[in-house]
Amino acid sequence: MTRYLLGRIGQAVVVLAVTFTAAFLLLQVLPGDAIMIKFMSPEMGLSADQIAEIRASYGVDRPLWEQYFRTVGNFLVGNFGYSIQAGVPVSHQLAVNLPPTLLLASLGFLAAIVLTVILATLSNLAGMKWLRAALQSLPSLFISVPVFWLGIMLIQIFSFQLGLVSVISPGPVERLILPVATLAIPISAPLSQILMRNIDEVLTQPFVAVARAKGASHIWVLARHVARNALLPTLTIAGVLFGELLAGAVVTEAVYGLNGLGGLTYQAVGNHDTAVLQAIVVISALAFVTINLIVDLLYPVLDPRLGSKLGATT
Amino acid sequence: MFVTRLLNLAAFVSMTTLAAGPAAMAQDGPVSKGGTLIYLEQQAHTNLYPPAGGFYPNGGVLNQITDKLTYQNPKTLEIEPWIAESWTINADATEYVFKIRPGVTFSDGTPLDALAVAKNFDTYGLGNKELKHPVSEVITNYKASEVIDPLTVKFTFTKPSVGFLQGTSVIGSGLVSLKTLALQDDALGDATKIIGSGPFVVASEVLGRELVLTARKDYAWGPAKLAHQGRANLDTIKYVVTPEDSVRIGALLAGQAQVIRQVQAYDEKQVLAKNFVIHAPPTRGVNNSVVFRPDNPLVADLRVRQALLHATNAKEIVATLFSAHYPQARSIIASTAQGYVDLSGKLTYDPARAAKLLDEAGWTVGPKGIRQKDGKELILSAYESPPQPQNKETLQLVAQQWGKVSVKLVVLAGDAGSRVADSLDPLKTPVAPAMVGRADPDVIRSQYYPTTRNVLLQKGGVSTRVQSFVDAKLNDLLEAIAAETDKAKRMALVADVQNYVIDQVYAIPIFEEPQAFAASPRLKGLAFEAVGRPSFYAAWLAPK
Repeated sequence: MTRYLLGRIGQAVVVLAVTFTAAFLLLQVLPGDAIMIKFMSPEMGLSADQIAEIRASYGVDRPLWEQYFRTVGNFLVGNFGYSIQAGVPVSHQLAVNLPPTLLLASLGFLAAIVLTVILATLSNLAGMKWLRAALQSLPSLFISVPVFWLGIMLIQIFSFQLGLVSVISPGPVERLILPVATLAIPISAPLSQILMRNIDEVLTQPFVAVARAKGASHIWVLARHVARNALLPTLTIAGVLFGELLAGAVVTEAVYGLNGLGGLTYQAVGNHDTAVLQAIVVISALAFVTINLIVDLLYPVLDPRLGSKLGATT
Repeated sequence: MFVTRLLNLAAFVSMTTLAAGPAAMAQDGPVSKGGTLIYLEQQAHTNLYPPAGGFYPNGGVLNQITDKLTYQNPKTLEIEPWIAESWTINADATEYVFKIRPGVTFSDGTPLDALAVAKNFDTYGLGNKELKHPVSEVITNYKASEVIDPLTVKFTFTKPSVGFLQGTSVIGSGLVSLKTLALQDDALGDATKIIGSGPFVVASEVLGRELVLTARKDYAWGPAKLAHQGRANLDTIKYVVTPEDSVRIGALLAGQAQVIRQVQAYDEKQVLAKNFVIHAPPTRGVNNSVVFRPDNPLVADLRVRQALLHATNAKEIVATLFSAHYPQARSIIASTAQGYVDLSGKLTYDPARAAKLLDEAGWTVGPKGIRQKDGKELILSAYESPPQPQNKETLQLVAQQWGKVSVKLVVLAGDAGSRVADSLDPLKTPVAPAMVGRADPDVIRSQYYPTTRNVLLQKGGVSTRVQSFVDAKLNDLLEAIAAETDKAKRMALVADVQNYVIDQVYAIPIFEEPQAFAASPRLKGLAFEAVGRPSFYAAWLAPK
């Protein structure tokens, strides 16, 4: 098990190094750079000599390999450099934007899971055929609703019309209610689709018939026999979705005027703010790697058969 | 339908005039002090180094927290005393001496004296290589400063610099403490580090999301001729970045905010329908135009440019996309700008003449319905400029109008990097949208001169892609404007340059750009500096 863990961590380091290098090279290939966008834009009214001096002072006239190793060195000691457009250290931007994104993504993800479980359970317990059909078609609706439209509608109705929550000067909890709902609804859609299908599949297995024959109620069968078996594929998808949530909350953040990684990424991409993008890419890669590791470690907990296989290989 | 439109038009024209006039303020009863104003911005501020204050979100913050050496009266455009009590200028405008008002302090307690003023302008005029501070666009030919006594400072210039006095009044010349000037440029995006002497002080900031300013209780040095004196009426201003248009307007109408910036023309109606107020101060500079890059052979022929001028229907653009707050352009500079002359006689829409000019120039309609000459098609391209109001729609409408005379204009979006790179290449962008706000004729020089904004891409500027295009006559005129000290002669030159640019059709002016704000009827005393940035110094909130 320890060897397995060490191996996985080693893999993660390789993934991070490759991501870092690929991001660095790709950012260099793009036409223009942050310094050009800021200082060469005619609004600054600078002369060619003045711009050359600024470029030299940022070190972007140095050879590529030198810039690369300087950036690697800085990253290793935790120095992410400065955002050229925003005029603040990248570490400051991350300190301001990472925690709210983590909080929003985690809560949105939790809410999505709760919604998924409720939908899947209800659709299975619903006696009436039409109600079952209605509940099962909800995920398709959720996935088709554009996030920005959903966000604007929630704000218009709950904040501007009914006056229940403020979006401009909200309290710490108030601030999160609508954005969490906006994030949870589309995320719950693929999760519940997969969970519903898996429950249906597992229900056809012979052991379910056996459990039923022994006199177990429908709820008992669902909770004790079906749930664990139906969860595995859902968990895999959930891992991927959570990673996406971290950097993918751009629209939600823009609609609600929240600060977070999504908005930061959007700004940085627009301005080719290399230092910021480099840090975001590494953080996102780290998040994906960590989550996938957690998901892999959770499999044997849910399904002991996988645990024994794992043990056999080590 | 037509009548309702007219009525609406009349309603909001009268409304804005009411809101703008000082007479209206007097009718509003006693000024109530204190309170918090919530201001919704579309974008977060970026680097707050004062010369970067041209970006509206930056100017909106800097105008509250910094004072300027002089104050430009937004109605008369005269330069009035502020931190400088008085000044003298030598005959050829190469020496300026300012007397500083005694007793002014920065919010960190350090004095705003001759030394501080000298250090500020040394940085803005010469830049600071070590700290990466760039030179300010509004200061030209700066040589040196000299502190004559603690309250007297002298500036010298290598060549006449007539625009300097007005240059001391703009957002980009906001005075900051020596502590702020000593920081490197990369650190000035943090608003809490900007120490000014203004009526408000930065209390706290959540980067990219909100900014809280509080009034300085001991502030006693507002512009001398303003009606309001002493500290600001409001206690607190809270800036909240709200990028989504509908959320800003909804929050304003729902009472969650009192003033918002950036209201598109098509959203004005719903604001006015609820008896809220639209403020649309003019930016008084170079009008929103499309400019040509004659280095590109497609637009090198004057007849082609003339044809495109007559193929452009600015009236239709304004009527289709904008409102009464966006007057149709009648020159390359706004009708509220200094030295403006009405050239609407030369800016006529005449598609028949356009077609004739193109025929004469040898561009005939080809099989694909696009004009061609020597096997080359007349296909031009331009990048949209996102900061300008509805610029993409404007360019698309221009493209439709040019299409009627069989000329194709391709409107490009692209990322910022490609946009900046391609905009420096006349072959890739023969046409470009352009506009700049500043209330001094020097703005024309900034816009067209090769070593400044260089919108025509003359040789001698930043771009390395320009082959040969230089217009020496234009540049001589622009230099003369910068150097002419006699006001009447300077205005005559400004008239000459407007005529020259239109005669050569270097630009097709379309409309005069305002900055559009919407405000609650409770907000009184809101003022705007000469180029449309808000000033909350005299603002107050009437009780609900």
